[in-house]
Amino acid sequence: MEPILKLRNLKVVFPTNYGVIRAVESVDLDIGDRECVALVGESGCGKSVTSQSVMRLIESPPALTQVDAIEFNGRDIKDYTPKQMQELRGKEMSMIFQDAMTSLNPVMTVGNQIDEMYMRHQGDSKKEAREKTVKALELIGLPEPRTRANSFPHQLSGGMRQRVLLAMAFACMPKLIIADEPTTALDVTIQAQVLKTLRGMQRGCGTSLLLVTHDLSVVASIADTVYVMYSGKIVEKAPVKDLFNSPQHPYTVGLMAAVPRLTDKKKTFTQIPGTVPHPARKPSGCYFHPRCEYATDKCRKEMPPLMGQGGGREVRCYYPLTAGGNM
Amino acid sequence: MRDILSMKNLSVHFPVKGGLPFVKRGVIQAVSDVSLAIKHGETFGIVGESGCGKTTLANAMIGMVRPTSGEVLFNGMDLCKLSREDFKKTRRQMQMIFQDPFSSLNPRFNVYQIVSEPMFIRGEDDEETMTDRVVELLELVGLSSEDLYRYPSDFSGGQRQRLGIARSISLNPSFLVCDEPVSALDVSIHAQILNLLVKIQEQMKLTYVFISHNLADVKNICDNMAVMYLGKIMESGNSDTIFKRPLHPYTQALLAAVLDTTFDEKREQIILQGDIPSPINPPVGCRFWQRCPKAMQGCKTIPPEHLQVEEGHYVACHLVNGFPDVRLPDRYDAPVDGSKK
Amino acid sequence: MRTKQPMHKRFQRGLVKRIKNTGLFIKRLWSHKQGKVGLILVSFLILVAIFAPIIAPYNPYDVSERTTKGLAPSAKHLLGTTINTGQDIFSMLVYGTRVSLIVGVTSGVCIAFVGSVFGVMAGYLGGFVDTLIMRIVDIMLVIPTLPLVIVLTNVLGRDFWIIILIFVALGWTGLARTIRSLVLVLKNSNYVKAAELAGASRWHVMIRHILPGTSHLVIMSTALSSAGIMVAEAGLSFLGLGDPTAISWGKMLADAQSGGALLFGAWWWILAPGIGIFLAVFSFMRLGIVMEEIANPRMKQTSSVYKIFKSLDGSYIEDVFNSMDDDQKLGIPETARQGGKTHGTHLEA
Repeated sequence: MEPILKLRNLKVVFPTNYGVIRAVESVDLDIGDRECVALVGESGCGKSVTSQSVMRLIESPPALTQVDAIEFNGRDIKDYTPKQMQELRGKEMSMIFQDAMTSLNPVMTVGNQIDEMYMRHQGDSKKEAREKTVKALELIGLPEPRTRANSFPHQLSGGMRQRVLLAMAFACMPKLIIADEPTTALDVTIQAQVLKTLRGMQRGCGTSLLLVTHDLSVVASIADTVYVMYSGKIVEKAPVKDLFNSPQHPYTVGLMAAVPRLTDKKKTFTQIPGTVPHPARKPSGCYFHPRCEYATDKCRKEMPPLMGQGGGREVRCYYPLTAGGNM
Repeated sequence: MRDILSMKNLSVHFPVKGGLPFVKRGVIQAVSDVSLAIKHGETFGIVGESGCGKTTLANAMIGMVRPTSGEVLFNGMDLCKLSREDFKKTRRQMQMIFQDPFSSLNPRFNVYQIVSEPMFIRGEDDEETMTDRVVELLELVGLSSEDLYRYPSDFSGGQRQRLGIARSISLNPSFLVCDEPVSALDVSIHAQILNLLVKIQEQMKLTYVFISHNLADVKNICDNMAVMYLGKIMESGNSDTIFKRPLHPYTQALLAAVLDTTFDEKREQIILQGDIPSPINPPVGCRFWQRCPKAMQGCKTIPPEHLQVEEGHYVACHLVNGFPDVRLPDRYDAPVDGSKK
Repeated sequence: MRTKQPMHKRFQRGLVKRIKNTGLFIKRLWSHKQGKVGLILVSFLILVAIFAPIIAPYNPYDVSERTTKGLAPSAKHLLGTTINTGQDIFSMLVYGTRVSLIVGVTSGVCIAFVGSVFGVMAGYLGGFVDTLIMRIVDIMLVIPTLPLVIVLTNVLGRDFWIIILIFVALGWTGLARTIRSLVLVLKNSNYVKAAELAGASRWHVMIRHILPGTSHLVIMSTALSSAGIMVAEAGLSFLGLGDPTAISWGKMLADAQSGGALLFGAWWWILAPGIGIFLAVFSFMRLGIVMEEIANPRMKQTSSVYKIFKSLDGSYIEDVFNSMDDDQKLGIPETARQGGKTHGTHLEA
């Protein structure tokens, strides 16, 4: 099947006084129809820059971008003018941010903000738009949607605000939604609610979802395919089940082990030694080698290519781990 | 074992000021009627969602917030009744590690100044002794003496947190409050800091109070724990017992809401309805009843008591303890459909 | 356990550190392009003010030169002379520097001092003190300044110390307000909490954390309000409200106006004090802005993005991009790489 989004060879750098920051290095990304793709990585790995590049939200300056193709729904949008992009954003692709407080306008009622989406993109009248808004709010599970629509963002709780963002993102039934850490700021019980709603909406509307997160547990509960990023490069790509059952890149393995589980032993925490390299001073060879226990001389000298492993899996490692193998 | 710290019927209320002077609009009941005991050398976990009062409780433990009522006993001494001098002496034993490693270090200070500040405050002013001690502390937390004259902005989040830890143990405290020490850090750094905390605890025989919203962390690091909701303790006791057999519906829901990295398609989730109510006017009766999937009519009006159900396991829930023998409202045990509220 | 070192030794150590820090600060100012300009100009003005009697060729107060009335600039009188009294304008300009600088800098420093003391008190002590100070500030802010100044100068006299006093009395409020809000932020920061936990007194917190935390604001405000007050002083003198016995740039302008400089086309009489005022204000502004940049740890010393872009070599970036390429992809179909096109057209400029 032809993917909804095909990103080819995306490179983004930020020149600064301290040297060139290599934020994203040659990233390919495919998102299929009705698929939920997760982009996982730690802070500074380039996951947010990648997702914003898809929306063409990275401005130059400060960034310099080079890309072979951003194919969205069969069209290459890499050379779209800002006006064309505006047309596209909100209507065919939309975004959900982490901080609902700053992405909602504090002086407009949430209802009016969603109304605007309908009025701008579907040319509805104020009345029609409000009807749709109420319906949308009901759909995402906001209690008493008609009255809630008249409240201002600060009058809602964090979970409700995030739901409003969901309603806004799904308003025009876009083909693709990019969710950047949509539940990070929420409490566990609220996170579970919002994730369930997000998953339900995505399935119900037939939307594709690009989920950007650092939280592997969120990934496990909602994604279909996972890309793991480290220091600007994709290090592993796999269907979610395979990734969690048999991670192949040492970084993925370490990351999973580092997440504490309820089933772990007491007072011992598996850790990845060292820290993420500074984006302007990356090591030679494989970027992960200083922290990798399997690193050899080859890893220190050459960056391994992404290698296909069959079954839709790719891994950037000379010595991919196999289930039960050298683990 | 002796208790290092115990709280009896501790309440902390904050007035909410209205627009006019001297007019109170309400009272935030951040912590109400909490009784806990923390033993020497253990790690005591406090779990709860944002706004449940866990940070206020921690602040009350170390005397940063004056309790409205009740008492805090540190090694048997009531913190509120101590003289200024004694209080200062006692507080030397207590320190805190903060959540945000970025705002907890003064950007104008270098590492030496940051770590040596508590010693400086306590009247130490020989630079050589302080430098030696600072280097020793830095090595203990995994930094080196080369970092001595660098500034916080040169460090990553994990390293800053290490600095914060070095500062907090510089006075050889016996009681350390860790307020979400890892939640602002990256996953791969997370474990490093937790391991460091465990190592320091063993070396210095510290007692930790570990505040977190991450249940897995709490389970793995804590000996005993308490679950808080809207300023009240819902369940407390040995952490293994609680995780094995959670009795309070809130604890059960919290546990169920923890997403796991083990991929399992058929996991049952109890998803709580609704949001945490405002602590300004908390519900009468059980504070959790509006969201509780098993709420009964009686829960609306009768506040449950925090009672022992088995050795060292306390629960505040009518479902477990049964209703006290007072005049019950009609149909007190009829279920309330929580989802409609 | 407490081994206090003798007081004078501690003091000495502190002093050495202060001097070292100041030296470092000036060095950093010097390495900043705009800072250098400001620094040079300000030191120039200060030197002129100090050595005025040596620099000035004539006595500017001498109004007895009947023969030199209204001369245009020449080698003898660099900036010409006044029309009505025949004073040497260059000498007046040089002496005017003294008044302007003294009034400007003294009031600037006093404002910074008073403003920060009250601001920190209000913010850090809170409660009644806070309410009291802030109400006073509110009242001061709504009083119309100019009429008040006119009244006060008429009542108290026009000695320039009194003028400084008036400027300080009216000028500290704005700074106090800004500092208070900054202190409120600092007061609640975790590092202050950590210090309090370690047993720090209010005094310690105030001296070690709060005051240094506000320093960038105070430094900037000193320089900027100095500049502002120089203009204000010129304005007052121009209105005839300045010290009538001292020569200041504002008074020179006022004299030029009343002496008919415009009428007789004596442009030098107006230009000279104008240049003086401009130079002084410009240099202090520069200095103030740069000082804030350096003193504020949160403002990283990055030059503008555009400058970085301009300094970049296009081929270097091309190399960086190329170095990111994966040479081959093993076992993954459909990825023929062509060289991409760089977006970010500023490179070609």
